[in-house]
Amino acid sequence: MTSLRLHPVAWVSWLLAILIGVTTTRNPLYLGLILLWLAAVMVTARLVLGQHFTRPPLSPWRWGSVMILSTALFNALNVHVGTHSLLHLPAWLPLFGGPITLEALLYGALNGLVLLALLLAFGVVNGVLPVWALVGLIPRAYYPVAVVVAIAVTFAPVTVRRLQQIQEAQAIRGHQVRGLRCWLPLLLPLLTGGLEHAFQLAEAMMARGFASQAAVVYTLPTQVMVLLGLVGVLGGLLVQMLTVRTLLSMGLLVGGSAVLIAALWGAGRSQPHTRYRPAPWRGRDWLVLCGALLVIVCFLLPVPGVDRVSLFYYPYPTLTLPAFAIPLGLATWGLLMPVLALLLDGLPKPPAPRPNERPTEMVEARR
Amino acid sequence: MIPRSGVRLLYPVLLYSLTNLIGVLAFLYPFWWPATLQTTDSAMAHATDAPLLTTLLVLLCLGVLLLEVQSQMVNTKTVALLGVLVAINATLRYAETIIPGPGGFSPIFLLIVLTGYVYGSRFGFLMGVLTLLVSALITGGVGPWLPYQMFTAGWVGISAPLCRPLIRWLRRLGGDEARVTLWVLAGFGGLWGLLYGAIMNLWFWPFAVGAVEQSWQPGIQLVETLRRYVLFYLVTSLLWDFLCLVGNMTLILIAGAPVLRVLQRFQQRFEFHYDAVAAPGAMTSETPAILVSGDA
Repeated sequence: MTSLRLHPVAWVSWLLAILIGVTTTRNPLYLGLILLWLAAVMVTARLVLGQHFTRPPLSPWRWGSVMILSTALFNALNVHVGTHSLLHLPAWLPLFGGPITLEALLYGALNGLVLLALLLAFGVVNGVLPVWALVGLIPRAYYPVAVVVAIAVTFAPVTVRRLQQIQEAQAIRGHQVRGLRCWLPLLLPLLTGGLEHAFQLAEAMMARGFASQAAVVYTLPTQVMVLLGLVGVLGGLLVQMLTVRTLLSMGLLVGGSAVLIAALWGAGRSQPHTRYRPAPWRGRDWLVLCGALLVIVCFLLPVPGVDRVSLFYYPYPTLTLPAFAIPLGLATWGLLMPVLALLLDGLPKPPAPRPNERPTEMVEARR
Repeated sequence: MIPRSGVRLLYPVLLYSLTNLIGVLAFLYPFWWPATLQTTDSAMAHATDAPLLTTLLVLLCLGVLLLEVQSQMVNTKTVALLGVLVAINATLRYAETIIPGPGGFSPIFLLIVLTGYVYGSRFGFLMGVLTLLVSALITGGVGPWLPYQMFTAGWVGISAPLCRPLIRWLRRLGGDEARVTLWVLAGFGGLWGLLYGAIMNLWFWPFAVGAVEQSWQPGIQLVETLRRYVLFYLVTSLLWDFLCLVGNMTLILIAGAPVLRVLQRFQQRFEFHYDAVAAPGAMTSETPAILVSGDA
């Protein structure tokens, strides 16, 4: 519990700022800056958290470079616009035939960079937040779902252990896994045992007085609000689909979403709820939140003095140098705040103390 | 406040159709936006944030659906059953050392399809949504693709009971009951294996082809975009998804019948509730203090 250095909500705000920053621009300069700050946060988080940093199953760097390569190649093969022609594919090839241009290659690579940034950002958040903190982020309105998720997260290691036990037991009986069919003697005991376990769990929960009746989350006003919000969102989408993006469609989308969120919030309020050991919100969390807000505001809203035209970059028909606005570049520094916040406690002490110190300490402790 | 029965019946229908419509539109976003795209700079600048917008919409729809569905999780037995089954399924997703699967094949669909078929749409929906959520939480796979994955897997579970009328109809035509059930479910699982890949590609698609180049070819419309997507699909993922189809079908054909039997047996064990006996005076040695009545 104490290993949390930053409040989960602060991390979420940072993540949101990156999502917004990365999806609103294709300017390689801003993308590069954001990627640089992301890498800095990633490295710092790994250094500071050490063992507590959970690594993703796939390295985001390796995965991201594959993404960049494939998006660049596919875009180049598909889009034959641009003045710098690299080579010419025969015209009889459907869609692929035509000139392969440097512009298309670069634009594809830029899209790949966006994907890499997304992967890295989520990799950081997945790494720094333990599972319980992630489960704690589930909104209050989803109490029953959160209970199911908590049960599942708790039972997953048990299930893995049971699977190993079943495997061992079957191996002793001479069972060998050769194909899909041999998988059945492992799956069925796992399923039956798990269901038996669920039965016991249900009885135990009931015996402890866990909600034998569903709490009424859904009142009539909530239902009306949900329907209204959905109609608003659908209307906004349709207007946008049939006409161009207008103020009306954006208004409907934003208004509908706001009504939906209000309905969800209201449903959450009706759930009596206490938090067991809430994570503290400290000064450093404000730091991260303010940095994130700075990026969101500068990238999304018209701020006097910030030229947002440079966010837009388009290499066709001829490659040009991207424009750069210094205020926007400075604003991206807001994404670097987690580094500061993480370093506030300083780097962790090396785990192994010097060998000549330990015995005296232990002797002193015994005394 | 209890709404009138008419409203109560109408409400879920409206809710499901609205959310699913929005979901489908959001998924199909990459197809229709080039058609409406303007050549002005500001419109194209907006076009790049389209994936973020649709992801948020998908997330919102998912949230609304979840709120509806979870209100039906009336008792501890459903909660416990769902929790344990999700844990098993999430474990299976990453226990690839045990399940030798080809390509994009992942064994999660077996339980999503079968639980949806046996326990109903709502259970199947929750099973699909939560399996992906929990496995992402455990392995650190949370990302912008997660709402899409959850929504699609939820669709798999929610549509599984559609097999029931088909099976009934086929059985009336004649045919062994067990075999008909198994083949229909296998076909259904296989189809979803293919569809799941195609739908999940849509998330990646706007990044793969910055469709922004459309503005330089003003004639380009929906059909052309569709053609490009089909090509993209054929090149990048058909083989992968085909392996998924084969894997799902084989798995359901092999494990379907025994797993169905287990699930049905436990359904009978789980579907009971406690009724308090009316008056304590009426209690005799024959009547137990609590009546256990089965629904099944």
